[in-house]
Amino acid sequence: MNRKGILYFLVACLMSSLFLAGCSSNGSSDGEGASKTKTVVDKEDKTLKIAMGTDIVSFDIHNHNNTSTEAVHDNMFNYLFKKDAKGEIQKELVEDYKQIDDVTVEMKLKEGVKFHNGDTLTSEDVKFTLERVATDDTLKEYPNYKQIKEVQVVDDLTFKIITHKPEPSLLHRLSRLGSGMLPKKYIDEKGWDHFLNNPVGTGPFKFKEWVRDDKIVLTVFEDYYEGKVEEWDEVIFRVIPENSTRVSELLTGGVDIAINVPPTDWERVDKNDGTHMVSETSNRNIMLTVRATEGYPTADKKVREAIDYAIDDKALAENVLQGGAIPTRTRVGPNNFGHNPDLYNTFRYDVEKAKKLLKEAGKADGFEMTLHSPKGRYLQDAEVVEMISGMLSAVGIKVNIEFMEWSNFVEMRTAKTNKDAYLIGLGNSMFDGAYSVDFYRAERFKGETDYKNDEIEKLLTESQVNMDPKSRAEQIQKIQEIAAEDTAEIMLYQEKINNGVNDRIDFKPTADEMIYAPSISRK
Amino acid sequence: MGKYLVKQILQLIPVLFIISFVVFTLVFVAGDPVALMLPEDASQEDIQVLRESLGLDKPFLVQYGNYVMGLVQGDFGESFRYNQSALPIVLERLPATMELAIAAMVVAIVISIPLGIWSATKQNSPLDFFATGGAVLGKAMPHFWLGIMMILLFSVTLRWLPVSGRGTFSHLILPAITLGTGIAAEMTRLIRSSMIEVLSQDYVRTAKSKGIKDFFVVYKHAFRNSLIPVITITALQTSTVIGGALITETVFSWPGLGQLLIQAVNTRDMAIVQASVFIIAFLVILMNLVADVMYRILDPRIKFN
Repeated sequence: MNRKGILYFLVACLMSSLFLAGCSSNGSSDGEGASKTKTVVDKEDKTLKIAMGTDIVSFDIHNHNNTSTEAVHDNMFNYLFKKDAKGEIQKELVEDYKQIDDVTVEMKLKEGVKFHNGDTLTSEDVKFTLERVATDDTLKEYPNYKQIKEVQVVDDLTFKIITHKPEPSLLHRLSRLGSGMLPKKYIDEKGWDHFLNNPVGTGPFKFKEWVRDDKIVLTVFEDYYEGKVEEWDEVIFRVIPENSTRVSELLTGGVDIAINVPPTDWERVDKNDGTHMVSETSNRNIMLTVRATEGYPTADKKVREAIDYAIDDKALAENVLQGGAIPTRTRVGPNNFGHNPDLYNTFRYDVEKAKKLLKEAGKADGFEMTLHSPKGRYLQDAEVVEMISGMLSAVGIKVNIEFMEWSNFVEMRTAKTNKDAYLIGLGNSMFDGAYSVDFYRAERFKGETDYKNDEIEKLLTESQVNMDPKSRAEQIQKIQEIAAEDTAEIMLYQEKINNGVNDRIDFKPTADEMIYAPSISRK
Repeated sequence: MGKYLVKQILQLIPVLFIISFVVFTLVFVAGDPVALMLPEDASQEDIQVLRESLGLDKPFLVQYGNYVMGLVQGDFGESFRYNQSALPIVLERLPATMELAIAAMVVAIVISIPLGIWSATKQNSPLDFFATGGAVLGKAMPHFWLGIMMILLFSVTLRWLPVSGRGTFSHLILPAITLGTGIAAEMTRLIRSSMIEVLSQDYVRTAKSKGIKDFFVVYKHAFRNSLIPVITITALQTSTVIGGALITETVFSWPGLGQLLIQAVNTRDMAIVQASVFIIAFLVILMNLVADVMYRILDPRIKFN
């Protein structure tokens, strides 16, 4: 009886299936749909596509301190100096430089460096750039540049940088985020807002488009002072926060590089035909910050040592992180100024010794402690903390784990309401060991760790104004030795950066996590 | 009707102020964004300098006062993350979210109207059982899970559709289906029950007894009247659609309001959180008003007063 009803329903079904099928015809970019785990490898395509987990923050190079933002900026702006793959500082925009006295360096720029709008880079641009960040305390990079007093222009290409005090890490500062060169004339004429929407630098790629939380598109700069990059016409950074979506894009050939692939997907990426995993040591160390405050069990050096001996760092690195980490006893990684190799890729593990130390400390029956940890912030952080808790219970220490949401965790640190211990990972954008060991400065961590060592204090004060690189490196190495001996904190391991890559390209991540397109090539 | 609308719109103003207060208080209580904005190795001194420069060291009432003064002038404050005015950033995202919401609604309507009508006319048949069961299932499936499954099936395995992003029509399909499924489930059940109710009305029986064919009874008489509550509910579903879009957008990295809001919450970008919640609340209230007006237009028995 109700045949027309059925007919209508069928038409509706047909329409909806057409709706679905119609779409499928434009979506496919792959002629061989049958082979389901094969990624398209197009060697001719001169567009490089990279999937990141977070969007860039801004094109204000001075007002962010976000590594993934710098990773994009790196393609558009040049620094005066640049760190090479070994972490050594090389000249970039600077042709030559000499230290005149403890607070003055004279530098000369390379000739013929052009901004994307055609203007030539001059000393005035350097003065404009560095004095802005050194004097405006509302900028997020201000703390890293306030050491600069002024920049004096000598001539078009020559200038002097004058610091308030002797500043041994000046070149480190000039080879990192915040020191990309800005076009003074362009900004003066068009205004800062115009610049933020149409940024101009001297780098190998120039700005084309930024759709927030979607993509940033850069095109090759024909007049690059080192010659146009031939390998790529266009670089697209896509923003894909969800891990599994990012991996899926890599597997389908939608992107060439997927940043931060979680361990659960490593095998999938490696086994898939057309993609593989690459990794490199990052500059981030994972550690347990412990209280040396009077009244806490961890105030006793023996207890801290016992905890260190009870934790098997190698098991953490190899099992929980599937090889994605390197055990360490220092917070200054390789490629950093003042790295102490004796304390790297090594760890202490001896359960019997740990028990003995606890006994000596009068805690033979063990004790209870609270361990705070963020969850999902670092690679496998929750699993690591749970395994540590298990390892400590083997020597009689009962660990109460408190997982915290990241912003609450940060607030706990700022408010210094931390209890016995917390797990944290700290990097060092300066690649100068001085910034890592500064964490042992008593005054800075009063109320948070209350760790104090007079010898370290002395070395910190001396190294801060020591302009002789050799003896400064030794001072920083010595601080690491004392801290390791004293078990100022319980160092665990150094993280690795894990990226998935399409087989068509050659890409090796660097410890500074930059994605510098000219260093990436097609196979 | 004009008078009614003006009155309704005027009533929005206090509601929007209450929303502004609630949102501001929640974000204020949620904590200090400064520590999150600086790197992990920032010193206390750096944190304090930045906090003062952003005016975050002032008491609650002063901060709220400044906020309201700004609101009145259409200024939602400055995003900490982007260092730009918050409102344009939020408005810039609105088209993407609207596009997704409308597409999801189309998917929902295409699925639910035929399914709902048929299961009402064929009550307790296997098809009815299938449709109502399917509706429960559709409602129960989390968007997050459904979205990832869709990507794995249609993008990774079959290679029919792109995984994520926005641009072409094919980019819209998977997120629209993901978001549309839940709404379709809800609407199918609603159309079914509304239709069953209408079918038992006197005028339907009269029409049937006059010998009018079933098809015309269902589509000319019953369907139109059963649509009244459906249209109201469809408009009221706006909040569900936007809520679902928050998650769907993240899975498919769809650059809409949802993705913006989630990022802003993670980074405690207060101004963006406040402006987005405000805009979403405004949309929901507006859709409520539209539903109200439509209800009155469709059913002349209800008077504007």
